[in-house]
Amino acid sequence: MFSRLLKFAWKVIWRNFRRTLITGIAVGLGLGAIMFTEALMQGMSTHMIQTTTESWMGDAQIHGNGFLDTRNINLVIKRPDSILSLLELDSSVSFYTPRILSPASATSATEMKPVTLIGVDMQTDPEVTMLKTAIDSGFYFSGDSTELIIGYKLAEDLDAGLGDVIVITAAQAGSGLSSSMFFVSGICRFGNDNLDRYSAFINISAAGAMLGIQGEIHEIAVRFPQVEMGADTSLGFWSRFSVFGNTALGWPELAPQIGSLLNMVNVSMAIMAAILFGLVVFGIVNSLFMSVFERMYEFGVMKAVGTRTGTITVMVILEAFWIAVISTVTGIAIGLLIIWITSKTGISFGDLEVSGVMIDRPIYPEMILSRIWIFPLFTLILTTAAGIYPGIHASRLNPAEAMRKSL
Amino acid sequence: MTDNDVIIAEGVVKTYDDAGVPVHAVRGIDYTLKKGEFTAIIGPSGSGKTTFLNVLAGLDTPTEGKVRLSGKLISDMSGRELSDFRRDHIGFIFQAYNLFPVLTVEENVEYVMLLQGIPAAERHDRVMSILEKVGIAEYAPRLPMQLSGGQQQRVAVARAMVSRPSLIMADEPTANLDSTTSGALLDMMRQLNEETGMTFLFSTHDEIVMSRARKIVILRDGRIDGKASSDEY
Repeated sequence: MFSRLLKFAWKVIWRNFRRTLITGIAVGLGLGAIMFTEALMQGMSTHMIQTTTESWMGDAQIHGNGFLDTRNINLVIKRPDSILSLLELDSSVSFYTPRILSPASATSATEMKPVTLIGVDMQTDPEVTMLKTAIDSGFYFSGDSTELIIGYKLAEDLDAGLGDVIVITAAQAGSGLSSSMFFVSGICRFGNDNLDRYSAFINISAAGAMLGIQGEIHEIAVRFPQVEMGADTSLGFWSRFSVFGNTALGWPELAPQIGSLLNMVNVSMAIMAAILFGLVVFGIVNSLFMSVFERMYEFGVMKAVGTRTGTITVMVILEAFWIAVISTVTGIAIGLLIIWITSKTGISFGDLEVSGVMIDRPIYPEMILSRIWIFPLFTLILTTAAGIYPGIHASRLNPAEAMRKSL
Repeated sequence: MTDNDVIIAEGVVKTYDDAGVPVHAVRGIDYTLKKGEFTAIIGPSGSGKTTFLNVLAGLDTPTEGKVRLSGKLISDMSGRELSDFRRDHIGFIFQAYNLFPVLTVEENVEYVMLLQGIPAAERHDRVMSILEKVGIAEYAPRLPMQLSGGQQQRVAVARAMVSRPSLIMADEPTANLDSTTSGALLDMMRQLNEETGMTFLFSTHDEIVMSRARKIVILRDGRIDGKASSDEY
């Protein structure tokens, strides 16, 4: 009986070929659009996470307790040699690099600007950050203790160029100020305002000597084999390296603005999906009601010959189900096609900055099955469910009245 | 009420609303239909024939009065009971054929048996047998729109009879047919009535139906204006 009703419903929906086609394409376009938007948002999220972690932050960082909150240069990593040895042996770690950090001022011949002085380990840094590849002009560190790399925006602000002298002044550990003279050896461009305008990079040994903390470090940036591991709270890494008075944190905690942005994306997607599915439901209800009103006589006859009300309701729901299947298949095809094309070509947004991250490269939509399957499923369920109301209406028709009205 | 009574109507009144205007379609009818009858309800257009037929079949509820189908008051039956009763005991033939346009002839005819849960093989045998009887077996795979009016009405007759109901109700069954087709169809139904004892109740103003009916009930302005045998009429 059910299979015959299914077959009957399939034939009924094609009675009005144009309406079924238009409905299927309209719902399918909506589904395709939301699948594409989801993939685009995913691509943008991945881009932002990668830009943030690959450019400088790393997938995780280790600090001495309290350093991140106070930026107190005395709060160095405890037992750094032990930590570095453990990192060397840890199978979950791909690369790591130690750093020294301090608030400082950079003074050129004409200007003075506040910066974060960053001591970089030139041996390990290129495996963790993009500083070396971000050099726009000049050179990466060669080992000279007077080398200085600054961002292009800081160079503009200081009105300084390659070879120019910059004096860095910072507070020493304990007490006192220390000033040292550096030569601009490289100018970098990260696409991140914080790095391009407010950071000055020198050799880690020079930084240690200047601040009076030789052999000490403030930060270790770590890269995992996959960036997602930085957000995996079940990873043993966190407990293994939150020891000796140090704390290991992943990128979601180090860059909470990225997490907030991802939450915002999820909420936006949910709102868009709710609006879309609301429109879908109303559209399908409208379409099915038109179909029911056109076939009043038929429903009258069906009831007259003994069709139960439940059977009529099920039949209209099955019609909605077939429309749902057509719409979902159409939507998946449209969505996949657009995602496939744009994942090859990328979508350029110009030089857009979101949450301090520059989106200056094309975004490539990414389809993550574990996220995207929900949209076709919802389309299928909600479009089918949209048949309930018209189905109940059709089943409650008085057969004599239905036949009289449609004559 | 006797075992011989198929339908009993007592003081049936039916008034319906037509765009705010009350229409008194049936104005107090007492009527009994007995087993094996081949009866035509006749009357001019607007006399209430179709409404009365609908009320007798339980397709419409009377505004006043009572209708008993095989001894049971329609008002006491649930919607499901009434549906099942119509499915199992009444075959309907409508003026405009009312076949399901997306179903083939075979599927249209087997529809009621499908509702009854009859197995597929038996359904097929019974459909082909009845289609042969009404002379359109070769059209079984066709859609209704591929048939003439007469052929479609034969399908409607086959659909009404295939589930072997005890009562066939036909509302203007020959309204869209030529006289030759109408005569042939009526002869076929009359033959079935004589062979199986199936009860037939028609609403019509077609003289061909009247000439074949054994009993005639005359309806005028929603009231029974007289009864007669077809010979008398």
